[in-house]
Amino acid sequence: MDLPAQVWVQAIANGLALGWLYVLMALGLTLILSIMGILQLAHGEVYMIGAYVAYYCCVSFGVNLYAAMFLSMAIMAVFGVLMEKFLFRPVRAQILPPIVISVGLTLILMSSAVVGFGLYERSIPRLVHGSFVFLGSAVPKDRIIAVGFAIALLLLLYLFLKKSKYGQAMVASAQNREGALLRGISPNRMSAMAMAIGCALAAAGGTLAGSILMLTPFMGTFPLLKGLVIIVLGGMGSLLGAAIGGIFLGLIDGVVPVAFGPEVTSLAPLIIVIFILLVRPQGLFGHE
Amino acid sequence: MPLLEIRNLGKRFGGLAAVSELDLDVGRGEIFGLIGPNGAGKTTVLNMVGGTLLPTRGKIIFRDEDITKFPPYRRARRGIARVFQRDVLFRSLTVLENVLAGFHLSSRTGFTEIFFKRPSTRSQERVLHEKAMEILQFVRLAQQADEMAINLPHGNQRALCLAIALATQAQLFLLDEPLTGMSGEEIEAMMSMIRTLRDERGITSVVVEHNIRAVIGLCDRVAVLDYGRKIAEGSPKEVVGNPTVIEAYLGVEENAI
Amino acid sequence: MSRKLLINILSIVVLVAIIITLPIALKSVYWASVLIILGINILLVSSLRTIKLLGHISLGHVGFSLIGAYGSALLVMKLGLSFWIALFLGGLMAAVIALALAYPFLKVKGIYFVLLTLLTAETFRLTAWYWRSLTGGFWGLLQIPSPNPITIPGIGIITFDTVNSYYYLTVVIVALSLFVLYRLERSHLGFKWRVIQDTEVLAQSVGINVMWYKTLNFAIASFFAGIAGALFAHYQHGLSPDFTARFGVLMSIYLLVYMVVGGEAKFAGPIIGTAVLTIVSELARGLGEYQPMMIGAIAIFTVLLMPEGLIGLPNRVKLWYRKLLKQTRGMRGSA
Repeated sequence: MDLPAQVWVQAIANGLALGWLYVLMALGLTLILSIMGILQLAHGEVYMIGAYVAYYCCVSFGVNLYAAMFLSMAIMAVFGVLMEKFLFRPVRAQILPPIVISVGLTLILMSSAVVGFGLYERSIPRLVHGSFVFLGSAVPKDRIIAVGFAIALLLLLYLFLKKSKYGQAMVASAQNREGALLRGISPNRMSAMAMAIGCALAAAGGTLAGSILMLTPFMGTFPLLKGLVIIVLGGMGSLLGAAIGGIFLGLIDGVVPVAFGPEVTSLAPLIIVIFILLVRPQGLFGHE
Repeated sequence: MPLLEIRNLGKRFGGLAAVSELDLDVGRGEIFGLIGPNGAGKTTVLNMVGGTLLPTRGKIIFRDEDITKFPPYRRARRGIARVFQRDVLFRSLTVLENVLAGFHLSSRTGFTEIFFKRPSTRSQERVLHEKAMEILQFVRLAQQADEMAINLPHGNQRALCLAIALATQAQLFLLDEPLTGMSGEEIEAMMSMIRTLRDERGITSVVVEHNIRAVIGLCDRVAVLDYGRKIAEGSPKEVVGNPTVIEAYLGVEENAI
Repeated sequence: MSRKLLINILSIVVLVAIIITLPIALKSVYWASVLIILGINILLVSSLRTIKLLGHISLGHVGFSLIGAYGSALLVMKLGLSFWIALFLGGLMAAVIALALAYPFLKVKGIYFVLLTLLTAETFRLTAWYWRSLTGGFWGLLQIPSPNPITIPGIGIITFDTVNSYYYLTVVIVALSLFVLYRLERSHLGFKWRVIQDTEVLAQSVGINVMWYKTLNFAIASFFAGIAGALFAHYQHGLSPDFTARFGVLMSIYLLVYMVVGGEAKFAGPIIGTAVLTIVSELARGLGEYQPMMIGAIAIFTVLLMPEGLIGLPNRVKLWYRKLLKQTRGMRGSA
């Protein structure tokens, strides 16, 4: 454990950057779970496809990376709405069919990516080059920008949920589906919005990840699992919980391998999850 | 020695006290009524006696045993049967299978019986089958033995709930609004069944009900709850004439006497 | 003997005859290996269905398969035990771990159970990946020996080094396991599970210790997952915790799809689903990367348009035919 401070700073920086990406995944997952009651296991693939869409906008059409990210977010939001309307809405009230659908979607999307994009790893051009020195170690600037974007999106989401009519309706819907119905809020519209927002966030996460890390058709599985752990940790239906849980998990993923080695890192999430479910099943900030 | 003793029972949900400082004794063979305006905490009390809710305070003693912390299945083993407020049945099973499910405690089958049916198992099955039909005859559902439980009309479903409780051979029945939503005829039938159970099998019942007329006709003793507290106790006639009780019910026309 | 019984017995005899002569008829090592894997998958999906009897959906069944696989292999390789004991112990290890996890797992609501099982399987896999000293890590556990030969007095020694011999071994073990699962489902234990799945609170109220029965169910299902894993290990002679291999999320997904497409209402459903989809995958081998896409599409199609699965097909056809008859009759009759 006598590692120089630089390593720790790097580890923490990495952890925070990863954490924020996980948060974007988790926010979408928790929104979809609490408003639609569906565990969107294909969300990782949405993240992945969002990254590839941005890649193609950037590389093939020469669009600016930032614009590409927004474009990708918009496209995946539409995709999400379509998924909701044609695939998830018919089976809304049940438990098994939505899981099968999301699982089937995972298979379809993942293999489409393999077929369409090939197995080669690619990367989106970096958000910004260079790094600056913090506490004696070099922190790449792009991680900071990525975190910045993620925070900005989180704030935007927060404002939307607090201030806009639709946003408040979504919060009401997430906490109490029947209550929302009584207030004349259409569950269909709520679900469509939840999907749209969730997919847009995932696309953003994928794009940011693609510029920091590599693009592969399999890049979505890992963040999905992280996202799932986070919503258990943070609590279903709690956006604050998702945010905090994501940071926490990102830090663990950044720091624990350095401190204890990778073996502990793999076991830690499950132990945490079991512990949480035993002690406080609604998660740290959950409602039910 | 009373069959059921409730001592200083209390339940808080967050800041709200649903039940406070409840003391009750139910004697063997009694039909004990628990009444009170909506939200008085009657079902909460039943939930705590049945075990689906843990009290925040107090004790529940059944047959001289402290069962306060027991999970529901252990209370069933001690002899408490719970009939829930809404028609809680085994929906995907037939009427007969519903009753057979209730026989869980009476059927002791071992591990090997899973693979090879010994003659003793077969005869035990036959015996249980006969007993189930007997119970169904008592609740007048013998004809519908092979129907799906969900297909029964409401009144029959209520009777089936009673049949399941009978199958457990419990000595204490906790009946949560057994007469709600039934026609006059069905109410008479149910009341007579509860009485017969007491007369012929010595079964004690705690009945939560809104139908005051029925309570007067059915119960030996009655306790009245209001806002989670007991405000009166005694024979039905005494309780119903009690001015505190009348005041508690004021404004709720349907339940006024 | 009633006609129905006769037909049943005849079909069983025919089925057994087919199964026994299949590898000889196909004369191909490749197809024999496909059948072995099919047998193992059938056991996995059928035991997955056992958990579904309680209404729970597990996406972590492969995790227990992994425990049985590595458990059995390590017992043979490190402790020198005979395959026949290690197989059983592998299943037992999976069952014990399931027992340990049962309490927190079975307490939680539907969706969370799916989540937990998914994360558990992944954790087991990652543990195998990182615990290099025990499992060989990402290099894999290699040179797992074939099952020990058994000597039958009067007939001779049966060895299991060939694919064909392993095929028959698989058939026997899987058939025995399925028999056990089937009998369990129809026994009083199975009845308790049905009762619990229907209305848990009422089951409690009639004296059923719900937690105990759920735990037993989970442990039994995991036991057979472990057996399936052990069978795999000694057939493949090597194990790898690579995420694209047998013990990853993808495999859990496939198992669920096999079960749903086959139909979970009857015991034979998952068996049919696995068999059909495996054959479809094999025939589509040439399409390589398109395979997952096809399976995914079939899954979505089934759940949206044919939710009872393949075993519900005969019923559907019957109803559709009846409706057709009624319509034509109605058209001929008065308006």
